[in-house]
Amino acid sequence: MAAKLWWMIHKDLVSECRARRVWPAMLLLGTVVALVFTVQMDLLPTEKRRMVGSLLWLAIFFAGMLAIDRSFASEREDGCWEGLLLCPISPTAVYLAKLVVNVVALAALQCVLIPLFIVLSDVPLLARPGAMLLTALLGNLGIAAVGTLLSALATAVRPNGNLLVLLVLPLVIPVVLAAAEATRLIAEGDLGAPWWRWVQLLGAFAVIFVTAGAVLFDFVIED
Amino acid sequence: MKSTATSATAAGLRSQGPVGRGEWAGDRAKSQILNPQSQIPNPKSAAPGTLLETLLGVLAAGLLTAAILAVFLYAPTELTMHHAQRILYAHVSVAWLGLLGFVVMAASGLLYLLRRDLSCDQWSQAAAELGWLCCGLTLVTGSLWARAAWLTWWTWDPRLTSSFVLWLIYSGYLVARANVEDPERRARISAVLAICGLLDVPLVVLAAHWFRGMHPGVPDMEPPMRAVLLLSVIGLSAFFVLLFLRRRGQLRMESRIAALEQRLNV
Repeated sequence: MAAKLWWMIHKDLVSECRARRVWPAMLLLGTVVALVFTVQMDLLPTEKRRMVGSLLWLAIFFAGMLAIDRSFASEREDGCWEGLLLCPISPTAVYLAKLVVNVVALAALQCVLIPLFIVLSDVPLLARPGAMLLTALLGNLGIAAVGTLLSALATAVRPNGNLLVLLVLPLVIPVVLAAAEATRLIAEGDLGAPWWRWVQLLGAFAVIFVTAGAVLFDFVIED
Repeated sequence: MKSTATSATAAGLRSQGPVGRGEWAGDRAKSQILNPQSQIPNPKSAAPGTLLETLLGVLAAGLLTAAILAVFLYAPTELTMHHAQRILYAHVSVAWLGLLGFVVMAASGLLYLLRRDLSCDQWSQAAAELGWLCCGLTLVTGSLWARAAWLTWWTWDPRLTSSFVLWLIYSGYLVARANVEDPERRARISAVLAICGLLDVPLVVLAAHWFRGMHPGVPDMEPPMRAVLLLSVIGLSAFFVLLFLRRRGQLRMESRIAALEQRLNV
């Protein structure tokens, strides 16, 4: 199981590295959004610290959706999807592999966006690197868990439409809210009980939706 | 025309056999459409205005009239908010129905995934449409209440925020439904969306609650106010169930017409 999972993740990452179809577009969109957001933030340092978390997570969400939206698009070509389904792999494993690829994509996006926001807004987001890492990881997991499931679903609904953002955003509002608040508290240097509460919410969301995705994915890909 | 229909019936009857394990879901749906006995319900059962609906209609009309009269004539006027406080009777009722619609939508979605019966999907759609309406009315009445109580149209109150998110999830669900033609696939996709939506509700409520909070809790109400509130909730709920049954009957008719059309075209 672990080996099969690894090979599916490996396949997606290698094909992305070779063709570079999605990630450059995602990183570029993230950069543009970061620029547009921060250029309007002509505020006092304390106000910037309060705002930067929400702006960072909105940028991550919208740029990341570009990659998540395409998770299944490449499989639709040349009968790849049928080939994948014919392999002796459970749908849950396919879901988990796509989920890991999307989490890696979001992490790559954050490797660009977090330093960019620090430079452009002058807010010390990495003052507590461990706390930021935990927040980012759990946030990514939540967004990718819902995004991967609904991406398969949206591909079935309308193969080249932009339905996904519309379906995913209302569902991940708790993630965006919790991650933004946790990031704000990190920027303000306050890692007390409220911070921990938001991180717990992120963790709960990730656990619930990874489980739901693993169970429901089977129904989404039936045809 | 007649011979075409007959041959279609024969094809339908031929495909009606023991369902094999490896059979495709699409084939199953197709054979159901081709087979008139399994797909097309008895005209009498699909006819509008069953006895239950008539009784429910009379009940809802009586209760709602009584509730409206009671709200304006019997319920005492509140001290600080005066007449604006009467919004509460409508607001609490539609808020409860918006949440009930969500649960019914997700439960029938789950039932569809387990039983693969398209009528479960009709339950789900009827509940989603009505729930969407009630959720929207909750937002409107909540906003009016906020204007009267706190001099602002909108506050980031947890329950108002959660209702807004629920309304958005409902809307996404309805938009997704409208984009799929094939009934079997539409049912499956909507069921998955509805279940995800319901799983999201507790997290949305928690997040909204921690974010900012100041909804009036359950205040100590005068006994007459409590009675009027109960009456409005029951009256609107009866009306909701009536609308729900009517809409479901309508959807069933729609699928019956589609099946008949299919039969004529084959």
